[in-house]
Amino acid sequence: MRRKIGSPISMIRRGCCLVLLLILPVQAKMDLVTLPKRDGVQVTIYNSADLTLVRETRELTLQKGINRLQFSWANTLIDPTSLEMLPKAHADKLAIEDLTYPPRTQNLGIWTIKSQVSGKVPVEITYLTSGLDWRAFYMGTLSGDEKTMRLEGYVRVGNRSGEDYEDAQVRLIVGQVHLLDQIAELAQRQYPYGAPAGFGFRAKGDSDVRERKDEMNKVEEAEVSAVSGYMMLTDAAAAPKEIIKEGLSEYFLYTIEGKETIPNEWAKRLPSLGPFDVPVVNLYKYEEEQYGAGVVRFLSFTNDEAHKLGQTPIPDGMLRVFRTADEVGHLSYEGQSEFKYIPVNEKVELNLGGVENVVVTPTLMNFKTENFTFDSDRNVSGWDEVKTFKIEVKNTRPVAVKVEIQRNIPGVKWDLNPDGDCGLYEKVDLDTVKFTLELPPRSQKEFKYTVREYQGKRAE
Amino acid sequence: MKMTTWIRSGLLTVLGCAVGLGSAEARVKMVALPERAATVIRLDNPSATLIEEERVLTLQKGVNQVDFSWNGVSIDPDSIRLKVLNHPDQVTLLNVSYPPNEAALVWEISSAEPVEERVRISYLLANIDRLITYRFLANKPETQVDFKSYLVLRNFSGEDFGTSRVQLDYGEAFEQAIGHEETKQLLFLDAGKVPITKVWEFDANQLPWDPEKVEGNVGIPVSYQIENKEASGLGKNALWGGKVRVFQDDGHGSTIVLGEDSAALVPVGEKMKVNIGDSRDIKVVQRKMKEERINLRKNVNDQVVLYDTDEIIKTTLENFKDSPAVLTVIEYIPGQWDMVECNLKYEKKNSEKIEFQVALNPKEKKELMMHYQRRNLR
Repeated sequence: MRRKIGSPISMIRRGCCLVLLLILPVQAKMDLVTLPKRDGVQVTIYNSADLTLVRETRELTLQKGINRLQFSWANTLIDPTSLEMLPKAHADKLAIEDLTYPPRTQNLGIWTIKSQVSGKVPVEITYLTSGLDWRAFYMGTLSGDEKTMRLEGYVRVGNRSGEDYEDAQVRLIVGQVHLLDQIAELAQRQYPYGAPAGFGFRAKGDSDVRERKDEMNKVEEAEVSAVSGYMMLTDAAAAPKEIIKEGLSEYFLYTIEGKETIPNEWAKRLPSLGPFDVPVVNLYKYEEEQYGAGVVRFLSFTNDEAHKLGQTPIPDGMLRVFRTADEVGHLSYEGQSEFKYIPVNEKVELNLGGVENVVVTPTLMNFKTENFTFDSDRNVSGWDEVKTFKIEVKNTRPVAVKVEIQRNIPGVKWDLNPDGDCGLYEKVDLDTVKFTLELPPRSQKEFKYTVREYQGKRAE
Repeated sequence: MKMTTWIRSGLLTVLGCAVGLGSAEARVKMVALPERAATVIRLDNPSATLIEEERVLTLQKGVNQVDFSWNGVSIDPDSIRLKVLNHPDQVTLLNVSYPPNEAALVWEISSAEPVEERVRISYLLANIDRLITYRFLANKPETQVDFKSYLVLRNFSGEDFGTSRVQLDYGEAFEQAIGHEETKQLLFLDAGKVPITKVWEFDANQLPWDPEKVEGNVGIPVSYQIENKEASGLGKNALWGGKVRVFQDDGHGSTIVLGEDSAALVPVGEKMKVNIGDSRDIKVVQRKMKEERINLRKNVNDQVVLYDTDEIIKTTLENFKDSPAVLTVIEYIPGQWDMVECNLKYEKKNSEKIEFQVALNPKEKKELMMHYQRRNLR
């Protein structure tokens, strides 16, 4: 059954809880003073690692002297070693003395705050958590002549952290972060910083982790039905939100306009890019060693202004490509490509998979050996192998295509002579050459090349 | 772990008159619990923790037996020492006995007069230690970090420590209480703003030469370098090794996580290098364009017994970022070699390793061509 969003019951049942404790010096008794509510929350979610930075603002009521603040996070995936508190006012009059993880108590930390003021003090509490994630995916629709592709990008944000994030500012990070430990593992440790190597406790072991993973899998299964209900709820609410993008260090930060509520176990899709009509090149590649005997189709474009892009890098994700099939806008599915991160100004080639409507056929037409050398025992010590290949290229499609043919030549020393209309010929590296041809709709081309490979002493 | 009250309350020092030292059951113990005072937890040695505690013993004239037991606590028995503080000329430790099947010892102490004697007991205690963590907050232009280091005290020794003096390698001792199975995190060093150098590094032996042919994203590792010297606001002591988490000010009153790394101990004058992540906006593609055998030397059978190679490597370096970057390119040429031609300046780091510092402007693409010959190959 779908839980009502923002139900106060859910917040009590699980999630983070902050309690301010007052130590009365005589009785050494701890009294509950107040339960400060979360005033605001910001989540910064990474996609290269299971990592989210959460920043909460709360208002504490402090007494002069020593205050103890208890923060608990049962049934969440918070890394306790990442907890930090920062006063947002009276910073010079407040000292965070220590953070204690009490014995035989899990998911609980107590800050000792020495205060020279009494009254309300806003603080920021930050921590890292696991269980929130996001990924990018794309849809491309090719025009009838396949010269442009309407590109639309989306992000899908999911929450399996155990915590409801209501009215949160959601930010997404694109980039490759270096982490030493999995946040999920740190969150499930029996002791926040572990224990010395010689201590013989039974750490929360594999079985516990397995149980947790099983729970997570169940959540994933349940997610499908939950999402549809939630999307219905929000569809009528407002227009699509804008995503503000900016570069920071080696990352790109996407800030989603306004506030979002992402309850635990829910996911949300938001538009992130475009739509842009991007000029594309239909590129077909043939390289036996890389792709086998067939031709592979690529869509090529550059992430720059000339291609209506170039404002920001494009995060890695899956692109599903469709084509407008008729005048009333019916679609046909062309293929899909899982692509890598595309920096600004980089040219990309998106692999849409093998095709049969563009064909490249190399045929060995002639083979001979010559220029033999002999050693002192009259054994053969060197020779040349001369091979002539015919390359036939057929474009059976009703649109113009560009075809790249790469040939790998074994051996340390060789010469190559192209013959006929081979397009642009270039040497890629010491054993690879490339021919690039443009073919009009429904056309074919043919060229030859002869390669002389020097063997044995002839290669010296 | 179940613990009785007297064990949980601490190491039990029992003062009494023992009637012989036979089996454990036969030993008569008259319990008088001298209060533990002036406890010092010394964490200056990363491999072992030394505890020093002072107690006042009520000694009778003659030979006294003092029982010291540590059930449920991992003390190295050979490390236990007793030092008489008030009347060393009158009070003498005669011998130490270990009762069978007990985590305990008995000191036999001779006293010339009845006396209240303060003694210092020291021992190595297992499963109590400290970790160091770092938290850096970089400014937006990435020129400096707010440098904070935290001390994490972990006590799994089986012993609860009331307020004790905690002494590290350097700095003033401070008072802290810590119970068994308790962990405490304290701000240890706040060095303020510390300058950093941002470094991108392509190592030809570590990274793929053609990122296009690799599944998944290939990034160039990015590090911050911090010099442990006075000019950086540091340089007073070595920086202990520990986990470093790096955040960055986003310019909107918030932060992002840049990454984390494990830092080794950094002596004064040395550099701390913290890998924060990979840059996907700097791309390096490297290709071998030529490899030919030359200068062939043959034996009487016309077989090549010695040769050189003539090799060309072309490396394309591209910065897709809006900001400049200085890329360190590390190349390896094994064995004996001579550089015939190289279009960029390099520094030879060892016999087979050379390093380039290539400054790339925003959106700039550069080409590095190395033409070298490897000598006397067989």
